[in-house]
Amino acid sequence: MELEDIVSKYPPKQIMLIPIAIIILALISLGATYLATGSPVKLGIEFTGGTLVTVPSTESEEQVAGQFDAYPLVDIRNIGGRYMLQFGPMSDSQYADLVKLANSNFDGPEIRHIGPIYSKELQEQVVRYLPLSFLLMAIVVFLVFREPIVSLLVVVSALADILTAAASMNLTGVQLSLGTVAALLMLIGYSVDTDILLSMRVLKRKGLVEEKIIGAMGTGLTMAGTTICAVIALIIVSNFLYFIVPSFTRMDIIADMSAVLIFGLAADVFNTWVTNAQGLRWYLNKPKKAARGQKR
Amino acid sequence: MSLIEELSKDRRVVLYAVVVAVAIICIGFFGLKFGLDLEGGSYLQLQLQGAEAQIDVSPEKILEYQFNASSVEKHGQSYVVTVPGSVDSAFADDLGYIGSKIAKGGNSTKITIVAAPETIVINYLKKNLDADVQLNVAVVPVRYEIRTNVTRQSLDALLAPVGGKVPAGEDSFVAGVSKETVDETKKVLDSKLNRLGLQDIKVRVVDNKYILIDLAGMDVATAQEVVGKPGKFEIRIQTENNDSMHVLYGDAVESVDIPQGERNGGWGVPFVLSEEGALTFQKAAIDAGATKRPEDHYISMYLDKDEIFSAPLAPELASSLQKAPSRSMQATVGGGDAGSAKAKELYIHLREGALPVNVEVVGSGQVSAALGKQFKLQMVIAGLIALLAVAGMIFYRYRERRIVLPMVTTSLSEVVMMLGVWALAGWQLDLASLAGIIMVIGTGVDQLVIITDELMRGGEAAASAADRSIKERAADAAEKAGVGKIAATSSKVYLTRLSRAFLIIMGAAATTTVAMLPLLVMGFGSLTGFALIIILGVILGTFIARPAYGRIIGHILSTS
Repeated sequence: MELEDIVSKYPPKQIMLIPIAIIILALISLGATYLATGSPVKLGIEFTGGTLVTVPSTESEEQVAGQFDAYPLVDIRNIGGRYMLQFGPMSDSQYADLVKLANSNFDGPEIRHIGPIYSKELQEQVVRYLPLSFLLMAIVVFLVFREPIVSLLVVVSALADILTAAASMNLTGVQLSLGTVAALLMLIGYSVDTDILLSMRVLKRKGLVEEKIIGAMGTGLTMAGTTICAVIALIIVSNFLYFIVPSFTRMDIIADMSAVLIFGLAADVFNTWVTNAQGLRWYLNKPKKAARGQKR
Repeated sequence: MSLIEELSKDRRVVLYAVVVAVAIICIGFFGLKFGLDLEGGSYLQLQLQGAEAQIDVSPEKILEYQFNASSVEKHGQSYVVTVPGSVDSAFADDLGYIGSKIAKGGNSTKITIVAAPETIVINYLKKNLDADVQLNVAVVPVRYEIRTNVTRQSLDALLAPVGGKVPAGEDSFVAGVSKETVDETKKVLDSKLNRLGLQDIKVRVVDNKYILIDLAGMDVATAQEVVGKPGKFEIRIQTENNDSMHVLYGDAVESVDIPQGERNGGWGVPFVLSEEGALTFQKAAIDAGATKRPEDHYISMYLDKDEIFSAPLAPELASSLQKAPSRSMQATVGGGDAGSAKAKELYIHLREGALPVNVEVVGSGQVSAALGKQFKLQMVIAGLIALLAVAGMIFYRYRERRIVLPMVTTSLSEVVMMLGVWALAGWQLDLASLAGIIMVIGTGVDQLVIITDELMRGGEAAASAADRSIKERAADAAEKAGVGKIAATSSKVYLTRLSRAFLIIMGAAATTTVAMLPLLVMGFGSLTGFALIIILGVILGTFIARPAYGRIIGHILSTS
């Protein structure tokens, strides 16, 4: 297995250059988006405000768009038997007219209207709660291990997961929505699970650090595998099923959520078994600590 | 000897079995409720606008400014306002000082107003903001609750002509309305929507600032109309026998005040009629003969044809109506706790005409029932695919049915337990909660993997041979694990391992829980379901399902 070779053969300091490079690339991506748009990830409609109307229709894109040309139409997309139309800000009376039009011209349209107060409050909430969530997780990690370096490695690995997941949103065009925020929070809590397993095994068991890492890897990769399986099920059903079964439809919130989760989980596999594992190897095999690592 | 027999003695396993059984009964008995995005309907998100502020202002200055008075003097409980020239008698009424005495003399008019200083401030704010203002005496110094969108600056600007201001300091201006006001608004909405006979209405308060309304089976345009449209209020008066005649509609009621305690022998709800309304009321009372024999002439109030109040005209009011119209009235409902409760109910009904607070629709939307059904089906399919994929993954790893089966069963039972809690609590499952369940399937199995591996491995690392390479030993260890030979047979070693596994699980459960906590309050409650189901899944799994699984798998492994 490739990963096992990495774990045991090369000196940890050299291997650590890879995750550091990835973190720097992620930061560059987030920074570039921030400079271009004013926020590190692209903001979805919940954060910018606006109206989203999804209508079932067999007509062409132009025909559907034409029916709404009196309104500030920003974007139209075909999502399998249905069109998703995004509108910019409009007055309350315009919105009321739009709702009536959509309801009279189409059968059971889906409508979401997000006012400026809502989106502004939501932005504030994310800025407040995302770091809070991370902080709470970090506190729990420190309480569990009571070892500053070991805890720090876990927290840094989790941070790398979140940064990678956020940067991959920019690469794939997934926007920040309530669903993706939920996914990021879920990642904060979940991505440390395998790190905790790894660190516990390495600290509490006897034997060589490398051997314990490889031992933990079997368990850890199975854990990641089951979670990735569940996320792939969500991706298939929310994104692709409507290509095969035309009566099915795309589920935005689930599609966004699962996209962020899959990137985050992939990053987690790497960061647990490379970033965190090499960090532990380096820390526990330092001449001073070698004896201790062996003893425990 | 028998597995079942041995396990039935373990209280963890018994607890687990009982909880799962109870959950199944709960689901069967109460049924599962689904959220709006799965059932179809529309939602409105309203922001309650308002603020509480301390106000530094002299009531005399306000009266001077409002009446354009030459002088204002305070005599005990009342203010005497002297205005040059003559003043229309309705002028004071219009400013909110109902029942003030007007005395014309020479080229000036003296108006005597009986009012507390706070009342004058409230009147001034009400008149200028065209919104309700209440006094909050629960804090010191008292604060005025202004039930519309104001800022410290806009209040200062409003108070500048009368030489007043909001004093400096954090406590002197607090955005948002009091909890009582929020509850009151929610009650008004609840009562109004229930009376309209709408089913499955859910009015929720988030963050003490937002009210979310879910209306099943209704498009968003209708929903906005229903919530925005006031109920049809009517006052009728009894004529002869059981006949009654129409007096007024809701548009004649200018304001409704909070219920007043035991005055004139009972609880009552004060309300104010418009000038025109007061004249109409007086005329109707005289025509019906109610001013002469008030006890035979009931005054009734109706809201959308439902009677909400009925009582004879009060004798004092009857005699005063004989002479002049009255704008200020009180609907008295009786004494004691029952009276207090009745007064509150009537107050809510009277307020249904308009919400107590100015609200702004900050978000709204609708989902059709057909689409919701589609989502539901797709999520069930996603759940099944997830469960199968997870089962495939663990089979690939352990290659043993006797490990895979208990694992998948435990995972499934965790879902059953979660749904049981949801059914019992009557919570709604929305799209995000269903995604949460699928995530719990994926992550819950992780913990079972940790337990299984911890029990199966254990001492293999200690049995190290110095001459073997790391890779060989690891391969050996992995093989042992794969074959499933449990090294430990003594229960002491087994328990040590189990507790070690639980240390990892507890740590993992704690991090997931705390990371999810912010979601409970974030996003105006739209992700509460997702967060709650994941937290609940982690808790149920960690404290009920996994301890039992640890025992069961331990027995299965040791008996092989």
